[in-house]
Amino acid sequence: MRFLPFVLLLFLSLPSFAHVQELRIAVGAYDERAVSPAGGGRRNALSAFNEDLAREICRRINARCRVTGISFGEMLPGIEAQKFELGFGNFLRTPEREERVAFSDPIWRSSSRLVSTPATARRFAAEQGKEVALDSLRNARIVAVPETQQYRYLQGQAGRNGLTTVAANSYVEAFALLREGMADFFLLPMLSAYVQLGREEAGQFEFFGAPVTENGLVGSVHIVLPKAEETLRYAVNKAIAALRSDGSYHRIVRRHFPFSLE
Amino acid sequence: MSSLFGFKSIRAGHAFALLAAVFVLTFGLMVTLVVLDQQRVINATSRLQEQTVPKIIRYQRLARNLEQLRQEGERLFAASTSQARQQAIFVVTLVSSHPSVLEHPESAQLARQTERFLVEVMRQSATDSRAFAASYDDWQRLAARLGLLVDDVSIQGINLAHGDLSDVSAAMRQARIKLTVALVVVGLFLVLFLVLLRAHLIHPLQRIDRALSNLGVDRPAPEFKASAMVEIHAVEEAIGELHASLQQNEEARQALEKLANKDGLTGLTNRRHFMLTADAELQRAQRYQRPITVGMADLDFFKQLNDTYGHAAGDAVLRAYAGLMLDTLRQSDMVCRYGGEEFAFIFPESTLAETEKLAERFRALCADYDIRLADGRLVRVTMSMGLADASDCPIEIALKRADEALYEAKHQGRNRVVVAQALARR
Repeated sequence: MRFLPFVLLLFLSLPSFAHVQELRIAVGAYDERAVSPAGGGRRNALSAFNEDLAREICRRINARCRVTGISFGEMLPGIEAQKFELGFGNFLRTPEREERVAFSDPIWRSSSRLVSTPATARRFAAEQGKEVALDSLRNARIVAVPETQQYRYLQGQAGRNGLTTVAANSYVEAFALLREGMADFFLLPMLSAYVQLGREEAGQFEFFGAPVTENGLVGSVHIVLPKAEETLRYAVNKAIAALRSDGSYHRIVRRHFPFSLE
Repeated sequence: MSSLFGFKSIRAGHAFALLAAVFVLTFGLMVTLVVLDQQRVINATSRLQEQTVPKIIRYQRLARNLEQLRQEGERLFAASTSQARQQAIFVVTLVSSHPSVLEHPESAQLARQTERFLVEVMRQSATDSRAFAASYDDWQRLAARLGLLVDDVSIQGINLAHGDLSDVSAAMRQARIKLTVALVVVGLFLVLFLVLLRAHLIHPLQRIDRALSNLGVDRPAPEFKASAMVEIHAVEEAIGELHASLQQNEEARQALEKLANKDGLTGLTNRRHFMLTADAELQRAQRYQRPITVGMADLDFFKQLNDTYGHAAGDAVLRAYAGLMLDTLRQSDMVCRYGGEEFAFIFPESTLAETEKLAERFRALCADYDIRLADGRLVRVTMSMGLADASDCPIEIALKRADEALYEAKHQGRNRVVVAQALARR
């Protein structure tokens, strides 16, 4: 009789397993024009990569996928509220986020860098030296997208060295702010920077300073899941390992990027 | 066994239990050592699988990323459009900022240097169209350093496996040696076991088997060398005791046989035994046509003696006569108490004439023989005797003839010997 609760739990968990067959997947869209409930519209390389990876994982765990493109800011709350089962938002794993959602095994690794217009870069290089790093930068306005790890980091640094943080709703908006001179630098993950800068005209923006290696800005990127979906997390991890070991992962990377993500 | 364990003697069960215990301990120790080696192999291989191989993969990826850095640099120099250059410089920046490069200090430094160099050339090219050509030699040197680093990183990764693999092979070699030693130990123990089994169980059992099948009263008791095994020793002692009791039984049997053939009062052969022996003698004599004579004797007036002196006196007289007969008769002659005061004789290898002389001498001896009774009185008893030739008739007939001769002797006045043949001729 002691095992009765466990048996009941097992039966209760079966329907939740059954509805795993239909997965709602959120993919971060960095271009707001791509944000649409149907997941249509223009996609950038990173969104396309995430979507391909999501579909491949779904295929491996025998689930049907409904992919929705949403903005980065909506993703964590959406996963937390269980509006989506999987979130591909290029999330670095941090303790604060771990309290809200669950993380899969890492899918790739990333670091962050500062981007500016060449004019601003020259000005700061002349004032503070070419090899100035983020923690020694002074009197700069740095833009970041709220909810991102970069934004969180900048808020922690605000006031020190005369740094101010400017919030932008999307990466497109952030680049616009740089272009308009409303901000000096944009702190963003490298892969996103690659995707965004690839669309801009050559010579419009350039990287400034060394890669940022501060805690929380460099590390592995994970798929996020609601905390309740432990079975799904296990299945996703198994699918990721299988993808890596049979080379499918690298084929998907090659389809979208001319370099390795690992 | 005694020389092995220093004991005077030892129980077989204890000896084999001790041997088995030593064997199990030794073999167990060997197996434990082999198991420990196996554990080392398992640990090393799981370390290889779980830690070293991922590390090697990381090194390989780092090498690939550095190689890509070099290639993108080349692409930057080779590119003819600014768009292509932009793309190349993006990838250079991206790769040099990738965590895999950043976490390896030497690579991080060289990658950063490469990126700075290429960005600087790119910047100069905006104003100076010969910037790329001017800095190509510098780039060649940087590219060569990148190439060297790629090789170093690849080899560093592969070297990681070497430690684990040499640990595995060392453990395997040791395990092989230990297994061989274990096999030798098992073999030695088996040989020792067989030798001990043969020397202390099989051989003694074979000796015991031989001794038992040869055991008999007419043979001496089997001799055993002192056995170290208590159990074997006990069996051997039991065989000795068995032999002794066989001999006792034989002696008792012989005593009983004597008793059964003797007359209780006189100690002479009884009638039953006499008849058997006499029949055999008679048949032998008749087969070889040898002379043989039988006789019947009776004490004269024995009934009056009994009546006068009592039965005890009669018994004493009978005993005295029996002693006298045994003293007088030859070794080959035989006498028995035929019943009451009657005696029967058989004289092998004797003709009637010889027998008659002998009987006459005996009769005379009896007639002069004083018998002292228990109360000190002396009595003298005569005897009458009938003889008959037995060489041509069965014992019963011969005895009947002798009895008739005895009757004749009685009739003629007692204290005389009458020969049946004479009787027959008359």
